[in-house]
Amino acid sequence: MSRILVVEDEQHLAEGLRFNLEAEGYQVHVVDTGEAALEALGPESPPFDVVILDVMLPGIDGFAVMSEMRHGGQFVPTLMLTARGHPDDVLRGFAAGADDYLTKPFELAILIARISGLLRRREWLRASMNHVTEPLAGPPPGPDETFTFGDKSMFFDRLELHVRDQVFPLTLMEANVLRYLIRHEGKPVSRKMMLEEVWGLHEDTDTRAIDNFIVRLRRYIEDDPTHPRHLLTVRGVGYRFVATSQP
Amino acid sequence: MVVAGRQKSIAFFIALGAGLICVIILLYVGWVLLNWRHGILLVLGALLMTAIVSGVVLNTIFLVHEIRRNAQHDAFINAVTHELKTPIASIRLYLETLQTRAVDDAKRLEFYRIMVDDSERLLGTIEQVLRTGRIGASSRRLNLSRIDLGGVIEQSVLRVRALHKVPPEGLQYRAGAPVTIVGDADEVQAAVSNLIDNAVKYSGSDVRVTVETARVDGNYVALRVTDHGPGIEKTELKRIFKRFYRVPGALATRVKGTGLGLYIVRSVAKRHGGRVWAESEGPGHGATFVLRLPIVK
Repeated sequence: MSRILVVEDEQHLAEGLRFNLEAEGYQVHVVDTGEAALEALGPESPPFDVVILDVMLPGIDGFAVMSEMRHGGQFVPTLMLTARGHPDDVLRGFAAGADDYLTKPFELAILIARISGLLRRREWLRASMNHVTEPLAGPPPGPDETFTFGDKSMFFDRLELHVRDQVFPLTLMEANVLRYLIRHEGKPVSRKMMLEEVWGLHEDTDTRAIDNFIVRLRRYIEDDPTHPRHLLTVRGVGYRFVATSQP
Repeated sequence: MVVAGRQKSIAFFIALGAGLICVIILLYVGWVLLNWRHGILLVLGALLMTAIVSGVVLNTIFLVHEIRRNAQHDAFINAVTHELKTPIASIRLYLETLQTRAVDDAKRLEFYRIMVDDSERLLGTIEQVLRTGRIGASSRRLNLSRIDLGGVIEQSVLRVRALHKVPPEGLQYRAGAPVTIVGDADEVQAAVSNLIDNAVKYSGSDVRVTVETARVDGNYVALRVTDHGPGIEKTELKRIFKRFYRVPGALATRVKGTGLGLYIVRSVAKRHGGRVWAESEGPGHGATFVLRLPIVK
């Protein structure tokens, strides 16, 4: 059963959406603030298949929720549903990373058709991923999706990092970031490049989101994360991966 | 982003104005130094310069004022768009649901109730906007009659209790001595309703609102609406009565509104020879709104 997250602070609309989506056979979870939405979409929570996101929310607004989701590596298909139908607002929604945009008042049938469209696209993508081995961040570094450096081995096909006898399961985004860095071994890569190549985002905003991924990766691959030897910071640019341990 | 853009343009105009004034002063000082012997011309020049400087200052003030107003107008259009579209979206959603799905009786009745609530909200917004238009057209005469203020308050309290589903102990009316005023019944009703409605609306989940009336020096009656809500900054106490004005921040997004309610209250108070003002010890300490109207002796 597909799980849908509805982010809407107007109680009447939220309950109407819940009733209809449940009647369509979806499992529906409703939250009424952007903060609660980000929490529900966090890595610890069970994943959702589609998000319906309102713009006018108390606290942080829908646009901010949207871009925060995408920067945090949350790529769940999202439909923005809002009273603001001005072209500027629509464009802002898409720029923040929305997959679809619908203005209120909307037709129920259209809304449901768009949601099933998003779900269908997700299924097709999954099906095609099984055929195509080439992942988002380009060709893999090794023939069998494995890369070994020092006493560490990264198994990209299983999303597992083996450090001596320890095994760390990585998320898909963590693995993609690591893959990208390994592909550019020895060369500095900028945050902007990583955003574009790994996340597929083209934004001018200087983001710190990537830094969080680096911090997590260092925790896995560095013996002492405060003194990295593989994942080095290049001041003013970004990061550099080196396979042979640097003193 | 939009707000930052406006701040920038305001800063630009202020800088431009200040720059021009400096240039004029420099030119004038230079001119005086060169021509200090020509007494009459000096006086003429002083007058001319004063005129030019005040012209530029006025111009700058006007520009900044207009930019502010424009920003508020935009915010108002946004708020009204939201307030009009949201209930329509909801009513339409429920109608389409009833049209296309098998809904059991209990749910159906609930949906009807929700639609009635939404149409009430829609009507409220429309009345607010229309009333602002009527008040703005100052040529419209008041439809004067003798009004029992207690009755008006009683009605408003009942209406707000029903609208926000507040228990009687959450919204109390302590009636003072009966008071008769002369005024436009419709407008006085709107003003009283707006004050009580605001107090409940901004209280959030902790609604403890009291409405009281008392005579003041024999000529006036004061209606006091006290809440234990989020309170108001000292600097905002006057501004909140301006047309379209809403206190910036999280509260304005949590509590939906058009920025017209208190403007209507103030206009009604003025047209009836009265006053309205707000008192608050600051954020977190609740607020009291006082509406003072002249009474009939």
